[in-house]
Amino acid sequence: MTVRWTIRLCLLLFLGCLLVNACNKKSGEGNSGPHPLTLPQPAGFPAPQYSFTGNPLTQEGVELGRKLFYDGKLSKDGNFPCASCHQQFAAFATFDHPLSHGFDNQFTLRNSPGLFNMAWNKEMHWDGGINNIEVQPLAPLTAPNEMAENINAVISKLQQDEEYKKMFTAAFGSDTINTQRMLFAITQFVTSLVSANSKYDKVKQGSANFSQTEQNGYTLFQSKCISCHPEPLFTDHSFRNVGLPLDPFIKDYGRMRITNNRTDSLKFKVPSLRNVALTFPYEHDGRFSSITSVLDHYSSGVQNGPTLDPLLKNKIPLTNAEKFYLLEFLKTLTDSSFINDTRFSQP
Amino acid sequence: MKLTHPLHRVHLPKICFGLLFVTAVFSCQKELHFDKVPEKDHNLVLRFKPVVSFDSVPLVLGKTYKNYFKEDYTPTGFKFYIHNFQLENTDSGKIFKLAKDKYYLVDFSDTTTMEIKITIAPYVYNRFSFTIGVDSAQNVGGAQTDALDPAKGMFWNWNTGYIMAKLEGTSPKSPTGRFEYHIGGFSGEENVSKTIPRLFPFPTNLDMKPGKESIVYITCDANAWFFQPWDIKIADNPVIATPGLLATQVAENYGSKGFTIDSVYNEP
Ligand code: HEC
Ligand code: HEC
Repeated sequence: MTVRWTIRLCLLLFLGCLLVNACNKKSGEGNSGPHPLTLPQPAGFPAPQYSFTGNPLTQEGVELGRKLFYDGKLSKDGNFPCASCHQQFAAFATFDHPLSHGFDNQFTLRNSPGLFNMAWNKEMHWDGGINNIEVQPLAPLTAPNEMAENINAVISKLQQDEEYKKMFTAAFGSDTINTQRMLFAITQFVTSLVSANSKYDKVKQGSANFSQTEQNGYTLFQSKCISCHPEPLFTDHSFRNVGLPLDPFIKDYGRMRITNNRTDSLKFKVPSLRNVALTFPYEHDGRFSSITSVLDHYSSGVQNGPTLDPLLKNKIPLTNAEKFYLLEFLKTLTDSSFINDTRFSQP
Repeated sequence: MKLTHPLHRVHLPKICFGLLFVTAVFSCQKELHFDKVPEKDHNLVLRFKPVVSFDSVPLVLGKTYKNYFKEDYTPTGFKFYIHNFQLENTDSGKIFKLAKDKYYLVDFSDTTTMEIKITIAPYVYNRFSFTIGVDSAQNVGGAQTDALDPAKGMFWNWNTGYIMAKLEGTSPKSPTGRFEYHIGGFSGEENVSKTIPRLFPFPTNLDMKPGKESIVYITCDANAWFFQPWDIKIADNPVIATPGLLATQVAENYGSKGFTIDSVYNEP
């Protein structure tokens, strides 16, 4: 009897050991982990350019990216977080500044564009010099006239911060803080800024109607503008010269700076026109303070030159009424839920 | 029966305790690992040595040398990316490639980077090739880490892409007193990535025995950057810091004569 009982007891203990061991392994590997998010795919949008392979979108990653985006620590003197030039109420452009201010009161070379639908963007910046959104933050972080920091210094500031240690662990599974993880998190936040809830979108979905003037503007837009600003993103992401005369002081040749190719002289990326009423001033150097001035340029200001876009050889003549209709249509591209979305505001 | 019965009584409980002990050991194995003697993680060491004029003159950062055009220059930085190691026996045709390609940054201001340890299949090899540079995939692939961490200062932030090799310092021939060769470019004609095949110096081979280590000494010649096939004078071009024709010429120069297998040591 005693023998049998010993055997039974042993077997029980043995099984128990196995079980505990197995459980241990499970709990060691699967500590709940960050919560996956899916990028919204607005109706009619193509597949995004940014694939999220290697950097899956998660709640914790976006949250960390948001903190970094609004944190002055990322700049040398603490005063110039990303958000200092990319303000939510201006659809993440710089409100009312032709050029943005950075470190030591210096101006940036260019007008800061709005940040939305960036996951659909092929190349970043007006000249497309940045081939992958993940490495984009390195440019403002290290530019002497923007945040003026060096990457190692930023990383070590973050490493000394307990809050960041917690947030990096939540987002990436361990408290390692390095360049790659910082860039991944910022990319997650910036790509999560999706804007597709304007009046125009509602009209497309059948839940709102254009007024007569807006409808006139839309018809004009479709006949005169969509070859470069096609729906639904309102940009084809190409580089073109729209005949803006060269600023003799800034001497910005745009795309040519990247490709060293003469045929790219004075070409700049076609900007999206979503939220355009909020992102003034306009053009790569912010030379026009109103949309009307942009329309005047297309109508009568286009300067001829060897790289001028062939579509603009004869300008785009517009009557005053047509300008008014176009303006009314462009205003329907404003997404007020986007600029008020608390998920994107200062944490 | 009479014989086995007592056996049962004595041994089964023992076996049970034995089983228990074994499971306990397995359960604790994670901790036990720490006490294990680490296995040798490499059998081939690549040692890089900076020189001027092939292997004759060692290069020391901060000292002054003359290039082919008798221009004085004082290098303060000399570094390059290397990867894609491949060993070959040209007689048998056998080629060995590392299963997982990894990038290394050799930086002559940091001794820890001047030695690369890898593991290869033991065999006799007479040819060694490697790539100086960074493939296009990593240039467009977004945020990288380890040797390719942009914080290493080998990344252009406004026209994104890797600086694949860097030689910089001072020279009286430059109007600003500084010269800067930051060589990069990954697409089309601007590509400066160079795969360099080298034979081991005759009659030595890389003769690797199981369980033994070999060392390959590679000299990296700064003077080669300025000469053959292209003339690069500091006076004419003190700064080359964008992709383009000049960068591809410098890369051709160091690709043709800049890297030499100086000697091989096979542990007997
Ligand atoms: C000092 C002002 C300033 C700061 C600070 C700044 N930016 Fe910008 N940002 C700009 C300007 C100006 C541009 C346009 C640059 C160009 O085209 O050359 C730009 C462009 C961009 C773009 C590309 C948009 C497009 O359509 O191509 C992204 C993305 C971006 N910034 C994100 C960030 C992030 C993330 C940070 C913080 C790490 C940041 N910015 C900090 C001014 C700033
Ligand atoms: C040939 C291509 C092309 C056509 C056609 C075109 N655009 Fe543009 N548009 C561009 C480019 C490129 C820019 C940026 C130019 C720059 O900054 O150098 C731009 C800029 C703009 C801007 C300024 C946006 C900002 O955020 O700075 C507005 C507004 C605009 N376009 C509206 C229109 C309208 C309305 C039409 C039709 C009447 C039109 N465009 C036709 C290529 C085009």
